[in-house]
Amino acid sequence: MPINRRGLLTAGASMALLAGCGSNTGRNEGSSARIPHLSHWYHQYGEPGTEKAVHRYAEAYRKADVRVQWRPGGNYDQQTAAALLTASGPDVFEVNGPTLDQIRGGQVLDLTDLIKDVQGDFNQAVLAPKIHEGRVWGIPQVIDTQLLYYRKSLLDAAGVRPPATLDELVDAARRLTGKKTKGLFLGNDGGGGALAGTPLYAAGLSLITPDGKVGFDDPAAARALAKLRQLYTDKSLLLGAPSDWADPAAFIQGLTAMQWSGLWALPQIKKALGDDFGVLPFPADGPGGRPAVPVGAYAAAISSRSGNHTAARDYVRWLWVERTDFQTDFALSYGFHIPARTSLAAKADKLKDGPAADAVRFTSQHGYAQPLLWTDAGRLAYQDALSRIIKDGADPESQLKAVVRRTRAELDRVGKKP
Amino acid sequence: MPSASRRRRRHHALWFWVFTGPFVAGLVLFTYVPLGWSVFLSFHDAHNTVTPSHFTGLANYRQILGDPAFRSSLATFAVFTAFIVPATYALSLALALAVNRLRFARAFFRSVFFLPTACSYVVAALIWKMSLFNGVRFGLANTVLGWFGAEPVAWLSTTHPPWYWLVIVTVRLWLQTGFYMILFLAGLQRIPARLYEAAALDGARPGWQTFRHITFPALRSTSVAVVLLLVINAFQAFDEFFNLLSNAQGYPPYARPPLVHLYYTALGQGQDLGLGSAGAVVLALIIAVVTVVQGRWFGLGRKEE
Amino acid sequence: MHDALTRLGRALRLVLLTALAVLFLIPFYLLLRNGLADEADITAPDWTFFPHRLHWSNLRELFDDPGVPMAHALLNSTLIAVLTTAGTLLPASLAGYGLARIPYRHANAVFYAILGTLLVPAAVTFVPSFVLVSSLGWVSSLRGLIVPTLFSAFACFVFRQYFLGFPRELEDAAQVDGLGYWRTYWRVVVPNSAPVFAAVGVIVFIGAWNAFLWPLVIGQDQDAWTVQVALSAFTTAQTVNLHELFIAAAVSILPLLLVFLLLQRYIVAGVERSGIDD
Repeated sequence: MPINRRGLLTAGASMALLAGCGSNTGRNEGSSARIPHLSHWYHQYGEPGTEKAVHRYAEAYRKADVRVQWRPGGNYDQQTAAALLTASGPDVFEVNGPTLDQIRGGQVLDLTDLIKDVQGDFNQAVLAPKIHEGRVWGIPQVIDTQLLYYRKSLLDAAGVRPPATLDELVDAARRLTGKKTKGLFLGNDGGGGALAGTPLYAAGLSLITPDGKVGFDDPAAARALAKLRQLYTDKSLLLGAPSDWADPAAFIQGLTAMQWSGLWALPQIKKALGDDFGVLPFPADGPGGRPAVPVGAYAAAISSRSGNHTAARDYVRWLWVERTDFQTDFALSYGFHIPARTSLAAKADKLKDGPAADAVRFTSQHGYAQPLLWTDAGRLAYQDALSRIIKDGADPESQLKAVVRRTRAELDRVGKKP
Repeated sequence: MPSASRRRRRHHALWFWVFTGPFVAGLVLFTYVPLGWSVFLSFHDAHNTVTPSHFTGLANYRQILGDPAFRSSLATFAVFTAFIVPATYALSLALALAVNRLRFARAFFRSVFFLPTACSYVVAALIWKMSLFNGVRFGLANTVLGWFGAEPVAWLSTTHPPWYWLVIVTVRLWLQTGFYMILFLAGLQRIPARLYEAAALDGARPGWQTFRHITFPALRSTSVAVVLLLVINAFQAFDEFFNLLSNAQGYPPYARPPLVHLYYTALGQGQDLGLGSAGAVVLALIIAVVTVVQGRWFGLGRKEE
Repeated sequence: MHDALTRLGRALRLVLLTALAVLFLIPFYLLLRNGLADEADITAPDWTFFPHRLHWSNLRELFDDPGVPMAHALLNSTLIAVLTTAGTLLPASLAGYGLARIPYRHANAVFYAILGTLLVPAAVTFVPSFVLVSSLGWVSSLRGLIVPTLFSAFACFVFRQYFLGFPRELEDAAQVDGLGYWRTYWRVVVPNSAPVFAAVGVIVFIGAWNAFLWPLVIGQDQDAWTVQVALSAFTTAQTVNLHELFIAAAVSILPLLLVFLLLQRYIVAGVERSGIDD
């Protein structure tokens, strides 16, 4: 069906576009007036097959004509943010959120009643940031997590054991660094972007506490971040690789002995390296520390500017609540994600042994999700501070103080009624 | 005959609008309306909405001007301009002078230097980031360094020294120099040969003296236009910064010119549209002031009066 | 002695120019080298100036990629660039002529109002423009991609400068023949202004072909993707496929390079006569 449609449109696209037939996203028009039209946005997944799969799910739905839009460009969150301001945006969309301001601004629909029967089945850590004032605003699709991959043979050759503390990681990275291979790859920016709040959780802290306060106003935070600076000054970090940390290429090509990357990279690494690798959580730091792995989920949400709320709700309930077969397929057949529902994750054979099983264990034991109250303003201030600490050797304590101030101001803003 | 002259005036006015009307109407709809809308937003609390209702006066302006990151983005712009404007100016002028005096292969060299103008920032940034200046051993720049036994340099992520400027400046130099070279070539063509003949009679030696006393002054209007265009373009820099330095997690705190800063903090995902619009208005005002001052200084527009 | 010096200077200049020319061509070389190599060649620790084997199959791989409709994107970009160019030249040249030649009290005010928009960064008006276009129902349509970009103050400015320097005698003769502004413009002015139309046209064409942010946001539907948007689909995938990325980039600039090389002479002539720089 999409192939036919595309073929047709390729032939006549210019004329159709010229004549203005393509001037809307496919809603409210068309020959069969009884079937509603819905547009459903996904961000571009890197794994082959994913796009075909989501088209397949959309076609299997009988009660609406669902048109999938596959959005490239890297800045998917910005694209949806702009599109949500208008009625020509998506009806249904996946979102790395929704953000607190999208919820407060009434841009997305309340989905609580869609999942109330199965709410307990969802992984509570990734569901938590989708909940605001007791209502659910997005349905988690799959769990993504990030891990520390290490090359067993290289560690053995250097006589290094898998690091269990942040100090051991610093030490291991230094000893693994050679002329052609670096010890550790945390991303081309030195780690600030990929690690984000993870080192804080590893130091036993948090970004925002459950009662809505700043969670890292503590000397332990500065101590942990200073050790990231140590990695940088030791020249143990791989920097400026052609592909970033999300891509296992640098690890596979042997540019680095250890790499921080997503669970999604696991099949590719396994294919290239066989058994010569293992996974670890981000190691604990200090007396109050504990290992940490970030977890998060893209969620399915509905734009409140959608022309057909009922049809959109029915469709989302059908795909992301009822069709557990599609949910499993989406999580496991293409990339490598953990199903967002514990009952499905438990059934997944692929997650039962080896590093994959380790990864699943880490997420349930050490997983943390970015809180909904951790909004853009604080997040950007923190990212900037982290980068300055790592790369410029800025004083962690004073940098963090500024972030704490910014975050408090932001918490005050969102604490008020809109 | 006052009525006849009024009629003629009205006749002219009518034709003036027949000619300029369509263009002006389009400009009003697609530039002035959005511009006015932005100004409107800048006086409101407009989180995730373009139809805000909460008027906040100058609060957004106070916040953006009090934001050290925004001020530092203006400083970044100043540094960038200080690099790129003189560099492009000198290189494009030098190329034009050299190419202009060639006796053969002139079209060839002109084409080579002009060709990059056809590239987009997306493509150029791709080549620079992924191949020329990538930070690992198979990048071209690092390969060359390797021949001399030097360690690979992570060009885009090293802040001490700030190698990323080398990448940013060279990509823009490559892309834009050829265009300005053409402007200079055109200017050179228009210098009457008799000026040089007269200078030769006066004993001016070819080379530096002729350039200083004849060529350079004759290129004055071209120079003014080139500098103005370079500054305006530098102010609006976004594409190469964005494509070279941003990643899925965001953008580093360095090398962040004003437009990138606004995009990241307010106009992109975190939609604080009021704040972003305020920043944008401030930026537009700065550009306007700089341009007008520059124009006055160079005496631009004198000819028209 | 003097002659020898001149000759030496000339040789030196040629050497310098050649060195610079090589530097300017390196990026194009990298594009082809990486585009026609396989992944292992690109990432090999030891640099090879040419891939061990030229993989022309990369081209087929690119056009067969089911995720990115490259051929269709090329078609879209061509259509958009051509229509944008034509659509820009007409109103901008008319306005430029009106501003340059028709006496009107407020002509200067209008001119500065137009020129002023050059100073407004596109990002300033981006979000409202998007909302405006979408409320017109133009998202994912050719109209939405083209019409809002047609009113280029730069083009209008260049035309005005050019027409200011247009020989008045030609127009006066036409006026004597009883032609009004309209017919003078079409019968006398336009036929004698080919270079400036060519120069502005090429600049607009390049801009339209290379535009990225607007087509990305307006062209929501995959059928409305342009080449730049398709290209970004390669750069932002989770796993970067270097050879496909580079061959896609090479394909994306090829049409422009051809247009460029063919029309270069006119661009130079146009700039020379248009007085962009006056």
